[in-house]
Order: sequence, then structure tokens, then C-alpha cells
Amino acid sequence: MTPNVLINNLPYLLKGALVTLELSVVVLIAGNLLGLVIGIVATSVGRIGQSLITAYIFVLRGIPILVIMLLGYYAFPALGYRVPAYVAVGVAQIIYVSAFVAEIVRSAILSVPSGQIAAARSLGMRRFSILKEIVLPQATRIAIPPLLNNSLTAIKQTSYVSVVGVWELTYAAREVVERTLASFQIFLGVMAIYFIICYPLSLLARRWERRAAVVQ
Amino acid sequence: MPMIEIRDLRKSYAELEVLKGISFDVEKGEVVVVLGPSGSGKSTMLRCINLLEEFQGGGIRIDGEAIGYTTTEGGKRRRRKEAENAKLREQVGMVFQSFNLFPHRTVLQNVMMGPLKVKGIARREAEALARDLLKKVGLLDKADQYPARLSGGQQQRVGIARALAMQPKVMLFDEVTSALDPELVGEVLRVMRQLAQEGMTMIIVTHEIHFARDVGDRIIFMDHGAIVEEGLPANILANPKSDRFKQFLRRYQGDYLDT
Repeated sequence: MTPNVLINNLPYLLKGALVTLELSVVVLIAGNLLGLVIGIVATSVGRIGQSLITAYIFVLRGIPILVIMLLGYYAFPALGYRVPAYVAVGVAQIIYVSAFVAEIVRSAILSVPSGQIAAARSLGMRRFSILKEIVLPQATRIAIPPLLNNSLTAIKQTSYVSVVGVWELTYAAREVVERTLASFQIFLGVMAIYFIICYPLSLLARRWERRAAVVQ
Repeated sequence: MPMIEIRDLRKSYAELEVLKGISFDVEKGEVVVVLGPSGSGKSTMLRCINLLEEFQGGGIRIDGEAIGYTTTEGGKRRRRKEAENAKLREQVGMVFQSFNLFPHRTVLQNVMMGPLKVKGIARREAEALARDLLKKVGLLDKADQYPARLSGGQQQRVGIARALAMQPKVMLFDEVTSALDPELVGEVLRVMRQLAQEGMTMIIVTHEIHFARDVGDRIIFMDHGAIVEEGLPANILANPKSDRFKQFLRRYQGDYLDT
């Protein structure tokens, strides 16, 4: 157990980190976009549509991500589709993230005061125009902090994909530990790498908070 | 033809009937002040005129055009298309008790919103119009501020300018001074008085009885969803006929007897 066991294995871990980063980018972009659409639709459809979306959100929120990922991993083969593991778990992660995003977006839109919409309507503004000019800009300010928070969680929970054998940072770390038995140094290093990946988003969240405070 | 024509307007929330057949006309250039205790239905009536509230019976016409619903020859009531109703709303300006300025836009952008996004006129033209209106309400120097930086009275004057920017045929004022500190009421009433003098057709829901007497061409007193009395301000305020109006005047005028 030499101190430089981490340094020796760093290139391998960084290769894993790159996969984690790629997976995160895909999950964040697709998950946030899907959730955004679902959240907006939830506030502009009839009662049946709302119930369906509420069910979508509630069911997904009530399931551990590991379970929905395992479901995705086994469901495709059970249905007769041959899908690579990383696609199955990626799709599961995107759907999972979208439920949380949808709920954040939906509640942010509903928290825009009704007087704002009344004022816009009284000017003669049409539905789409009110959404674009009045509701969404105000909802965005409300939604950004929880959305950034949610994105941080989403990045970290990509580590779960290692459970079904998808190779990324956490999986690579376990390989190295098995080989070197230097669990302490390696996982400390992995911690640092995850932190570095997440740090910019944390910074962004802080900066946004300060900016929003100034505008108010 | 009257500018605003309201016939047997009825509205209910489930069991509760809040408007029980309101009828009156407003001529072009006329200023009608609506008085009444809270819960009398006066704000709801106002919100029906530009269809912020749906109504179940009767009809409203602005400059001859039916608002919200049309009735076919067979007597069937049909909701007009949303685009048609939006078009009609453009002609009716509204100012709210709680201002409802757009907090994410500057004062200038608030006033430009209607002309730009509804009328689709050129930005330069919209800005010139907006600056003119801000000058009119005495707030040209606040054009680039955000609403949160303004006092209540200033915000409400921007609210008036924003509604005027659509060059409406009619202006509706819904208790626009009720949320203001007493010393800020005057500056808003001054703008409204000027509008009245310029010949704008206005319906004003208010508790400011002095203002009603000075500026109103006619006063309507509402209670429990119906018109109880109406008439010329000088007559009706000096000789209220119904007990309910007498009671109301005693309560609200009492505050002003010294002033």
C-alpha cells in the first residue's frame, strides 16, 4: 500500500471519470428537457392529462433509482429487445430525472401569481405569448435553484449504473481496489473526482442565488 | 349606441349567485363610478367586462361587439373563440388593485408589452408611445427601473400607462387606490382625473367618495350582486334613498368629513 497507488491508477480512474461525465451530460440534457416539457404540459392540459402526469411523477418519486434501473436493465430483454446495458440504464436514469424536473417546473409555473396572468390577458395577450413572455421567465427564476440541485443529485446517482456492470468511474474504482486493496486511497481519490465534476454546478447555484437576491 | 352595454348580467359560483342581473349603459366619454361594500360583486362585474371572469347569463357589449358569448337566433348561447375574445380585450384597458406589473421587466418594457406582443408594432414606435405615456403619468425618469424599486403610487401609475398603451376604448379601474398608503392616493387619482377630462370612457370601482363626486358623471351603488341605486353624484350622495346606501355612506364618508 504505497501512497502513490492513487497516482499510478489515476489515468485509469480518469478514463472512468470521462464516461461518468458523458453519461451525466446525456442524462442531464435529456432528463431536464423531458421534464421541462412534461412540467409545462401538466399546467396546460385538462384534468385527465393532469392525472396521468401526476401519476407519472408520484410513481417515479416513490421508487428508488436502483430499482427503476434494475427494472430497465431486465425489462428490455424480458420484452424481447436486445439493448446494451448502458442504454437500458441510461434511459431509466433519464426517465427518473425527468419526473423530478417535471414537478419542479410544474410547481414553479403554478407559483406565478394569478394577477400576472390577469394583467397579461387584459392587454389582449394570447395564451402562448403569456406563457413565453410572462409565466416562463418568472417561473425560471423560481425553478433554477432546485433544478441545479436536482442536477447535482442526477450526476451523483449515475454511479448506480456500476451495479449492472456499466463501466464508469465507480466501477473502475472498484476494479482498482480489488487489484490493489488500497480502498482508502482510491475511494478518497474518487471522492475528489466526483467533487470536481460537481463543483462548477454548485458554484453556479450560489451565483444564481446572489443574482436573484440583487434583482429582488 | 352606448360604448358599454350591460344587460341582465348574471354570474354564480356553484350555488352562490354573485351577480343577480346587472344592467346599465356607459356612454362614450362617460365616467361611471361604482360604489358598494366589499362582497357586493362590483369587482366581479368589472372583471366580467373584459372576460377575466366567465358569466352564465346576460350579455355585455363594447362599442356594439358582444364580449365572451354570442347568442344565436335560436337563443343558444355560444362561447366566442379565444382569439376573438382576446381581440375584444385589447379594446378594454384594466388597472388592478394589486398593480400586477411584470416584475421581470422594466417600467418601459411593461408599458411596451401590449403594443409589442399584441399589436406587433415596431419596437421604435412602441418605445416612443411608451415614453409619451410615462411622461403623461409623470414617470419618464423611472423608465429603466424595475417595478420593485417604485412606490405603490408610482407602480399604479405605470399600471395605468401600461393599459393606455393599447389605446383602449374603455378603461376599467378596480379599486386602484385601495392598496396604497394614504399619501400616495392623490397622485393616482390625479392621473385618473386627467384621463376623465380628456374624454376617456371609464368605469371606476372605488371607495373614494370625494373622488366619485368630483369626477363621476354617474354613480352606481351595488350591494349583494345587484344595483340598488344609481344617479347623478350630487343627487344620489346628498339624498340616498335606500337604507343600505345611507348606511354605506355613513361608514365611508365618516372618514372624510374632516378633510
